[in-house]
Amino acid sequence: MKTMTCPLNGVRNISEFVCGGEVRAMPDPASGTDAEWADYVFMENNKAGVVREWWCHTPTSFWFIAERDTVTDEVLRTYPAGDVFTARRDFDAPNEGGA
Amino acid sequence: MVRPVEYARRSFLHRRLAEHGAVFAEIAGAAVADHYGGVDGETVGAAQLALADLSPLPRIGFKGKNAINWLISQGIRGLQADNAVDLQYDGVRAARLAPTEGLVLCDLEAKSGTCARLADAWSLESAPLCFLVPRADSHYWFAVTGARAAEMFAKICGVDLRPDRFAEGAIAQTSVARNNAIIIRRDLGRTLAYDVLGDSASADYMWRCLLDAMAEFGGKPAGLSALRRLAAE
Repeated sequence: MKTMTCPLNGVRNISEFVCGGEVRAMPDPASGTDAEWADYVFMENNKAGVVREWWCHTPTSFWFIAERDTVTDEVLRTYPAGDVFTARRDFDAPNEGGA
Repeated sequence: MVRPVEYARRSFLHRRLAEHGAVFAEIAGAAVADHYGGVDGETVGAAQLALADLSPLPRIGFKGKNAINWLISQGIRGLQADNAVDLQYDGVRAARLAPTEGLVLCDLEAKSGTCARLADAWSLESAPLCFLVPRADSHYWFAVTGARAAEMFAKICGVDLRPDRFAEGAIAQTSVARNNAIIIRRDLGRTLAYDVLGDSASADYMWRCLLDAMAEFGGKPAGLSALRRLAAE
């Protein structure tokens, strides 16, 4: 059985996890163009090598980050998202249809 | 005679329990399956392997960045480590499921008013970044008791729950019979026992799964009386 180490719950069967795609910078909510958003939402780099990905331990809904080698499918390390995202990001998008 | 349909707080699967011959009793204003046959025989059976439904008993959860701090400010002890349970002075057990999530389970006698007190004390305004989770409504609560419980779990759960590997008070949030569940080791006196909590919509499915898994070991339903006797041994 293939396993993965959840930073909160420890080693678990891989069937308890789902992948949430690459970790990458979000376009600026105020100034991002449609092309930038389309790229962010729909496109994958599909890199051969070590990538950073979002993973979720579904029994706890705990999202974390894994570094995985896409060539060997080996998970090199996992850590809480809080290690990378240290500050709250507020969405102060322009008011388009407001009162 | 206590009839669950006359109680607002009753088990999600009271009809299934009645099919097994459950005799219900009123505990803390709820209809709980007290026993199915003779309590003496049921206690002996529960020391080997049995399944009990504790769903009508009080429990409450809190989520959010400030949830653990708020619980501590309300007098809950411990909560220093993830996936661990801390016994409180009144027999209530408080679990830290994550740095942002706590769960409080009442005592088997349901005499403590801690869960109700926490529910009364909490409000969106007085507890910023702490949100109430109605675990008594959202989650079933079963107990799997007996010396052969770990052997039974090995059939349907990937986590090693053997008593020498999974200590008293440890928590595993994992997949049981392909359903997400929280497993907490909580021995009753000298008897090995585990709490199992999961989505209340799956209560009937999980009840049947667990009974099916324990059939080869002779496991049967047990009532709250048998569990209390084991706890007192």
